[in-house]
Amino acid sequence: MAAVQTETVTLTVNGQSVTVPKGTLILDAAKEVGIDIPIFCSHPKMAPVAVCRMCLVEVEKMPKLQPACAVYVADGMVVKTVTDQVNKYQKGVLEFLLINHPLDCPICDKGGECPLQDQTYQYGPGASRFTFDKAHFDKAVPLSDRIVLDRERCILCWRCTRFSEEISGERELALIQRGVHTIIGTYNDEPAQSNYQGNWTEICPVGALTSRQYRFISRPWDLDRTASVCPGCAMGCNIQIDARNNKIGRFQSRENVAVDDSWLCDYGRYSFPNFQRESQERPRIRRNGALEEVSFDEAIGFAADQLTQAGGQVAGWASPSDTNEELFLFRRLFRDVFQSPHLDHRPGALPDPEPEDTSLPIADIEHLDHAILLGGQEVIDAAPVLHLRLFKSQRKGLIVHKVGVGEGKKALDAVPAEAQAVGVLATEANKSAAVELQSRLSKKVKGSVRRLMITTGPNGRGAKDLGILPHLGPGYVSLNGQSGKGRVEWPGAGLRAVYIHESSPLHAFATSDAESMWLPGLPLLIYHRFKSSPLDDLAHVIIPGHAFTEKDGTVTNMEGRVQRIKTAIDAAWVREDWRVMQAIANRLGAGWTYADVAEITAELVRALPPYAAVNQAERVTWSENR
Amino acid sequence: MAIKRVLTKDFATENLEQLSVYERTGGYSGYKKALEMQPDELVELVKKSGLRGRGGAGFPTGNKWSFLPKGVYPRYLVCNADESEPGCFKDRYLIEESPHQVLEGILIASYAIGCNLAFIYIRGEYLPQHEALETAIQEARQAGYLGKNVLDKGYDIEVILHRGAGAYICGEETALLTSLEGYRGEPRLKPPFPAIKGLYGKPTVVNNVETVANLPHIVNNGADWFTAMGTPTGRGTRVWCMSGHVNRPGNYELENGTPIRELIEEHGGGVWKNRKLKAFQPGGASMMVLLPEHLDVGLDFDAIAKAGSLAGAGAMVVMDETTCMVDAARRYVKFFHHESCGKCTPCREGTFWMANLFDAFEAGAAKASDIDLLLDIGYNIDGRSFCPLGDASTWFPRSVIKFFRDEFLEHLSEKGCPFKKTVQEAVA
Repeated sequence: MAAVQTETVTLTVNGQSVTVPKGTLILDAAKEVGIDIPIFCSHPKMAPVAVCRMCLVEVEKMPKLQPACAVYVADGMVVKTVTDQVNKYQKGVLEFLLINHPLDCPICDKGGECPLQDQTYQYGPGASRFTFDKAHFDKAVPLSDRIVLDRERCILCWRCTRFSEEISGERELALIQRGVHTIIGTYNDEPAQSNYQGNWTEICPVGALTSRQYRFISRPWDLDRTASVCPGCAMGCNIQIDARNNKIGRFQSRENVAVDDSWLCDYGRYSFPNFQRESQERPRIRRNGALEEVSFDEAIGFAADQLTQAGGQVAGWASPSDTNEELFLFRRLFRDVFQSPHLDHRPGALPDPEPEDTSLPIADIEHLDHAILLGGQEVIDAAPVLHLRLFKSQRKGLIVHKVGVGEGKKALDAVPAEAQAVGVLATEANKSAAVELQSRLSKKVKGSVRRLMITTGPNGRGAKDLGILPHLGPGYVSLNGQSGKGRVEWPGAGLRAVYIHESSPLHAFATSDAESMWLPGLPLLIYHRFKSSPLDDLAHVIIPGHAFTEKDGTVTNMEGRVQRIKTAIDAAWVREDWRVMQAIANRLGAGWTYADVAEITAELVRALPPYAAVNQAERVTWSENR
Repeated sequence: MAIKRVLTKDFATENLEQLSVYERTGGYSGYKKALEMQPDELVELVKKSGLRGRGGAGFPTGNKWSFLPKGVYPRYLVCNADESEPGCFKDRYLIEESPHQVLEGILIASYAIGCNLAFIYIRGEYLPQHEALETAIQEARQAGYLGKNVLDKGYDIEVILHRGAGAYICGEETALLTSLEGYRGEPRLKPPFPAIKGLYGKPTVVNNVETVANLPHIVNNGADWFTAMGTPTGRGTRVWCMSGHVNRPGNYELENGTPIRELIEEHGGGVWKNRKLKAFQPGGASMMVLLPEHLDVGLDFDAIAKAGSLAGAGAMVVMDETTCMVDAARRYVKFFHHESCGKCTPCREGTFWMANLFDAFEAGAAKASDIDLLLDIGYNIDGRSFCPLGDASTWFPRSVIKFFRDEFLEHLSEKGCPFKKTVQEAVA
């Protein structure tokens, strides 16, 4: 494909020449040469509004100061961001912004990471000349069960209202009243319903919108920040875990344009209490009907002995929130050590996966002209941040068809034959319908028809890739008649032991009716998990494990992107899950010698070459390697 | 010099608001003539006439029309009847006395720019005027002046009358369009200008009531007739709304360039109660104050600008010697504070602060440094705010500080308003 010729424009900013594509804002052109222009209302994901007036700069031949966030560059433009006039004005506008701002920074959650505070220090006046009573507004207004609004701190930058209009499209927040009495709020003060409210707190340039979960929890400089991946769903949104004193304070977004486009959903963002470790737990084994605390070594020895007695009649379930490294060892433990093919990660019966499961990367949704959501809203519910990408694309012309699973015909009729790029989005439960629709569309439509399957759990895709399945090996290779039994077949299959490895309460081993009849009679249940659950009562061995916040590793999102998670919370008294698996294997004579997670990752990549993608944060693609 | 009247020349005619009476005075002949012409010819004619917008900015009307991008339809004409500048009441008068004249102008402008749907955005408080226009539209429709295939010329035009809900900012053209679309009345970023992306994102011309009212006469009498009136840069006449301390307040249509002295002294009958003139303010609440020494300045955009003020929307507020200039500024600042839409920081916060400071002067609680503080706040608002409302909020108070600084100082030394007593006398 020939490179698209982009028209460029050359201008000078503070005497430095810079060449940028036509249609660039002064603000961004200045950034190119490292010149920072202060902003409040401007946001890279939203259309310019130029309401805060913080970014005014001098442009030669223009009589007035110009908003750098809203004026596009022109050839030969001469921009000056540091002049007496600009400096004086910057002090002036900050003085304006602060006359009705409570300046309660010492008790404000935003203090320390607040653009208003930072820019006042950098550009503002040392003191205010305003001597009158400030305009007073309601403080600590609950906007919903998640968000609190302090109307006195609000500087009316419109970021949250624009998010509600331009990014999520829900139009839940609006400006009410006018002039100095302007406030933001919801219609009739009804609680906000959006599933994306947490983003409001992140884009708010002051402490007006704060998360109720994080209120008064920490000062920003006391937080330890760790890059990670959201445990909520298969989307794989990048997050930052902010912890204080080894306790999770909040999840913040960490922009990955290819995945989350810098947003998170509330389901994922506010899921962190599920990963808060409550007690310093020790392993337990059941002796004479009662659980007793033992050391890790003793629990491992006990489990290994019991598993040996079970012979090959052992099944393993690893949760779709485990890391690839854990899953890799889990599979080896079963296939190589126990010689058992009964492996699964699925919550129940799900259609068989295929090697080439996703040909449509998330970011490519923006280049579609028709998207079919097979299953309608359930597709969004399975990966809520998808909605933001879809809505963004809709604003650029994408047509979205929400149809029921049985309404493939309707979708087929709705997409015209001349469509250039069509996407079919469905949860993996509706895979067969999606495959059928894709093939029928391919026959009708001139352009490409691609599919994006929303897998279950943050690493359901990794579990499939790595062969945590009864009938397929790593890389979806056939087992040549060595297939085992899937989870739904286990009750009544004559199994003597089950090993459940579970890292997240969000994707736990939820028992079906048949399973709850079967499990109590099972001779051996090894429950290796992060958080206790009713399964504890049935387990013969309980081994505490790490949550995703407490370990290193990689996870694969639904489009096959392999991303790293890192240890944010120290729980060193709990033995790493992979070490427990290695110890059990070695008790049974395996002789594994992994010294750390990196060695497992390396071996995983050797065993499964497409996973070399991990080193580039790229997508794993199977089709090209087959 | 004989008084030349254009817009108001027939206003003495009884029942002029009725279509038949209006037609008898030559009404709708301009429209009929326009329909015989090519739209481009009309644009050229108006350009040649030198007609400048009467809403305040004085932008050449013909030029405004010619900015519409070729071939982009639909396009809209919006007549701005939101007249909300304190001191202005000319649009009200023009609509009240001769709604058909305004409507005819709208129809001519619509035809000239190739618009099939025109809007009149009328100030919410103008209820009788709204009714007058509504009746006029119905009459004109029955007469075949608007609707489908007007006068068998194959031109379709519909006019929609919309009432505002009481916001000064909605007189600003982009805020007007936003309000017309059903959103909060707040100005929009320019560019894109309404001519490119206006109402519903389509090319749009916004013209003032008085501007369009001139059109039938220009079409009827030609550009040369129009350019023969007024000054080289301000052709034609203007309707001046005179109020304040004069003997005969009211609307006066005068040829552009007529000295201010003639308006106040002859037409207005001079300052009331035999008092002396202290100051006057052309253009409305926004504009800078002028002094008796400026009485010989001509009523014209450029001449008034040269004198240090702006002609704006054609108001003339006269203030006699008993007027407290600090209080006058205070009232205007409070108006702008009240009407600020809150969109941009300098206007929202700056007008709030200025209002507080002026209250302090009147209450005797101000400090000497507050005079320069007011100037500094003005500096930080003017040219920095999003739309001209913010800029304009500073012009009158700053000009008052310039010319009447000693009155501020008196407020400081007297710890309050030194005019309170004289005002009480005046009322008594």
